[in-house]
Amino acid sequence: MLAAKGTPVIETLESRQLIALDGGDPVVRGTYHRAPDGCPACVGEAEGSSRVGILFLNSLTLPRAATGDSSVYWADAFARCGYPSFRIDLPGLGDTEGELPLDVLHFINSGEFASVIARVVAELGKRFDLAGVVIVGHCAGAVSAIYAAAATPGCQGLVLMDPYFHLRQAVRPWIREQMSAWARRSSVGRTCGKVYDRLGDLWLRMQGNQVPRNANSPLLRAWKQVAESGLPILLLKAPGLKAPGVKPRPGEFDYVRYVVGLAKRKSRVSVIAVEGTDHSFANRTGREAICRHTETWLATHFPVASSVPR
Amino acid sequence: MDEQAGYFRVPGAHLYTVLHRVEDPVARILLVGPFASERHNSYIPWVRWARYLAAHGIEALRYDYRGVGESTGVFEQMTFDDWCDDVRVLTEWLKNQSPEVPFAVHGLELGGILAARAFAAGAGNALILWSAPSNANQVLKSTLMRWARLEQLLLKGGDERKSSADYIRQLEAGGRVEVEGYEWSSELWRASFNFGLPGGFTDEAAAADHCLRPVRIVELSKNAAPLVKGGAAGSDELRDLSWLYAENFGWLVRKLAGRKGNPGD
Repeated sequence: MLAAKGTPVIETLESRQLIALDGGDPVVRGTYHRAPDGCPACVGEAEGSSRVGILFLNSLTLPRAATGDSSVYWADAFARCGYPSFRIDLPGLGDTEGELPLDVLHFINSGEFASVIARVVAELGKRFDLAGVVIVGHCAGAVSAIYAAAATPGCQGLVLMDPYFHLRQAVRPWIREQMSAWARRSSVGRTCGKVYDRLGDLWLRMQGNQVPRNANSPLLRAWKQVAESGLPILLLKAPGLKAPGVKPRPGEFDYVRYVVGLAKRKSRVSVIAVEGTDHSFANRTGREAICRHTETWLATHFPVASSVPR
Repeated sequence: MDEQAGYFRVPGAHLYTVLHRVEDPVARILLVGPFASERHNSYIPWVRWARYLAAHGIEALRYDYRGVGESTGVFEQMTFDDWCDDVRVLTEWLKNQSPEVPFAVHGLELGGILAARAFAAGAGNALILWSAPSNANQVLKSTLMRWARLEQLLLKGGDERKSSADYIRQLEAGGRVEVEGYEWSSELWRASFNFGLPGGFTDEAAAADHCLRPVRIVELSKNAAPLVKGGAAGSDELRDLSWLYAENFGWLVRKLAGRKGNPGD
């Protein structure tokens, strides 16, 4: 707190509280969204559990509020449903100190945040009397969430928004960028683009739909581990370029179908397409859909029990 | 480092503030960040700048606009006047911590207009502006154009596609447009044309003459991304901006050396 002259500054509001998790180095900073007074507690699935919290991770380099402050909106909504919700900044992001390499994407794709997330989950559990947490990640945050789930006993579920399972290609050659731009702009270009997509699709089939060479193998292994264990997972997908619903663009490998297949018999993976939004899910349609689908999913796997005292 | 986050009470809302504390600071500075969606893109280098200043003896206070980020309030209901009031309250509070310590104001992008208006009204011994537009509409328009291009690419096809000109027409006709998760009202759009730098801020020398205190105006280029918009959306990677921090810190120290606080009193 700003302990200074005539300070009008506080750390706690009626529904929110700033937190500093100091169980390790660096101190992880975040915001805790409290369930309203009198709201029933939430029962976890673990033995002897009490409440399940929701933990939001950063999406790539965005601060914990996320695009259009969508994470604030979701955390408020889930807290109102009885799930204590936490938005944190991972080391080097937002308000948390720490060094980040310039190639943050490679760092995240390698699962480097998993250990600190495991520490955060343990600390939140202890400090807020939680049975465990559901980790929510968007895009690169979803990648970190999968790695963390594999390394964190306290993770009871995953909500993944537009996760990706491939590694970044080398920088596209200038000529390809120009051709893509042309294919978007002109009608002839669009026709050529469609032909290109069909050829890509044909090539993929000829290859027997093999996993592409740039697949993120360590991430797929972590996914297999958590999905096979029967961890409840909600995968939410936004429409992409030429890719409505959960299907990928023609000519691209169908990772969603592939990872759902990896989960096998114990699978509790639910996949939902969110229409009318973009990759950020930050517009009104997107954020309301995320709320609706996630609340329904939470109610199924982590029901709020009015009989359990808080 | 000693970084203290809190909610600063203002009428009708709480501003999220982070004070980068310094024992016996040589100066204090209020950092006024960029508009709404640009807050997110520029956050890391902006925080690093605050840490750089604190590590070198200048206590820095940064905050989120009312209705944005960690601050409370409803974005759609906010006006430029509300955001001006926030700067005024924070400058007064920071200045009053120890009035004898020199005090500077620094604004980035739209924050440059807010900082310059507070400075012209008497707050601060020195002012730094990074990529401050002449009026707020420049910020809104460039944000809208960038977002509309991305929308066209990813979301809609055929007749559903809208250009930035279509969205501007919608705003001018009294409608609302949701840009990067923030709902812009036609009132905000209209007000943005008349919300600009104070008179006399045509250039650095003129601004300093007008305010009788030192002013530094820097137009950041793409090599300062993601503090400013660089290439295509999502392509602004992190980079080492210590050269920028060192230059501006050096200027601050030179201009504030030997000065006492409270120029506007």
